[in-house]
Amino acid sequence: MSIDVVLFWFLALITLASALGVLFFANPIFASLSLAMTMVSIAALFVTLNAYFIAGVQLIVYAGAVMVLFVMVLMLFDLKKEKRSFSKGTFTNLVKVCSVGVFAGILLASLAFFEKNNSTSILTGSYADNTKELAQLLYTKYVLLFEFLGVLLLVIAIGVVALAKSKGGTHDSNS
Amino acid sequence: MSDNFELAINLLKPILVFLLMVQAVPILVWVERRGSAFIQNRFGPNRIGPLGLMQLLADAVKFLHKEEFFPKNGVKFLYYAAPVFALLPATLAFCAIPLSAPVKIQAFELFGHTFGPYNFLWQGFEVNIGIVYILGVSSLAAYTILMAGWGSGNKYSLMGALRASAQTISYELALGLSIVGVLLLYGTFNLTEMIAMQNGPLKFQWFGELVTVSFLPNWGILYQPLGAILFFAAVFAESNRLPFDLAEGEAELVAGFHTEYGGFKMLLFFIGEYGHMLVGSALMIIFYFGGYSFPFYSVAEVRDVLIPYFGTGNLVEIVNSLIHFLWFTVKLAIFMWIFIHVRWTLPRFRYDQLMDLGWKTMLPWALGNTVVTAIIIFFVHR
Repeated sequence: MSIDVVLFWFLALITLASALGVLFFANPIFASLSLAMTMVSIAALFVTLNAYFIAGVQLIVYAGAVMVLFVMVLMLFDLKKEKRSFSKGTFTNLVKVCSVGVFAGILLASLAFFEKNNSTSILTGSYADNTKELAQLLYTKYVLLFEFLGVLLLVIAIGVVALAKSKGGTHDSNS
Repeated sequence: MSDNFELAINLLKPILVFLLMVQAVPILVWVERRGSAFIQNRFGPNRIGPLGLMQLLADAVKFLHKEEFFPKNGVKFLYYAAPVFALLPATLAFCAIPLSAPVKIQAFELFGHTFGPYNFLWQGFEVNIGIVYILGVSSLAAYTILMAGWGSGNKYSLMGALRASAQTISYELALGLSIVGVLLLYGTFNLTEMIAMQNGPLKFQWFGELVTVSFLPNWGILYQPLGAILFFAAVFAESNRLPFDLAEGEAELVAGFHTEYGGFKMLLFFIGEYGHMLVGSALMIIFYFGGYSFPFYSVAEVRDVLIPYFGTGNLVEIVNSLIHFLWFTVKLAIFMWIFIHVRWTLPRFRYDQLMDLGWKTMLPWALGNTVVTAIIIFFVHR
């Protein structure tokens, strides 16, 4: 067994364990911390695939910014009622069954997709310059999708501000 | 191809870099205390040992003998894990920083075996995407703060942790954007390549012709003055130092997220903070002040100067790297002193001022810097 294989199984084990932690921790803080752990170990998995840039971005964006905000907000609340309603079945079982179905569907679809397009990487260069290649693909071939995503994020940001304003907001509008 | 000798050295290096960072902390604490005393016209620690240097040893012993304490409403796992995790981001980031020119060892014979040739880098490990990796791991520091704050089960700790992490996240944006100009300029994420590009006198392409300014070094700060200022300010905020130490704010929050920590556990947070300062200063040097290389003289040229004294063997390589390492240390010391001087000179921001500065001033300026740099590079062609 080569070192790569050992590394992969080690990281996969950590990823799965922390992902299961997200599901089974009753305390939302521990759940979100283990989600952060999942993000970090996925970043490590990207490194083993030589996708250094994506690993770095995964760390910065998901683990370093998005999940920190989640943890921060969760720490501000005292979630007791919500916790009960999720764990004791007040939350309709139908939704749980539905989400299991949706997840299974996504899993099957992605498996079928990879069966069809058997792992041909669009990045051909060595790992040293695949960042450049990635950027070139993003700004030439996929530029429209890339810009759409940007617009989508902008719309979300404006929407959140508008919603927060309509509920009062924290700042005076005339200050 | 690597043999056992190379493997052993490469495994030892991260440990050495870690120890380097940890050992720098007591000296920095001493400099900070003496420096603050100097600035405020006091004596500072001057009783134990020459110049009070042994004070650090006494402090370490005191820290080790403090009573073990666990807050009543604390969460055990988070409370004990936080100080340990506090060391990780700074260490991992510091390991990826090139501290000196690589040592090229020619093949040599020892105990009947032939070893080499080797090429040892003066950094814990080489990461091709250097700066992205460093930003990534150091952004994880927010978790340790949150873990400490929430695990302590104390509302002052929690408030301090929320403030600190909100501040870290806000300034990370400005930090990330302020270096985009540098990345455009050098066209690489790799820190060693960035240093190599800052060799020699200032020279750039100006509408097709090469301009050389012989009396200025080719340092990044001359291309990116605004980016450098923004980056340095953001580093202050990232390492939670005055004038951005809202996380502590003794007047309102006792001591912020480490209120409930004492003894060695608090010391670990302290080491983490100094580690962030070291990483920030090192990045500042690499981006804007030529890294370990001397102004005007490239690594190879310094080696040529040394050859008459140390021959052409392995010795000259090692001496060359050591000299560059010392030069890097001198630069690092200057920046650490600026950190300390600023801390004891400027008052603290109010929280809304801090957020306004981050979001409404630094972020737009950094964005503008990026756009202007991109336009200039596109039209003028460095």
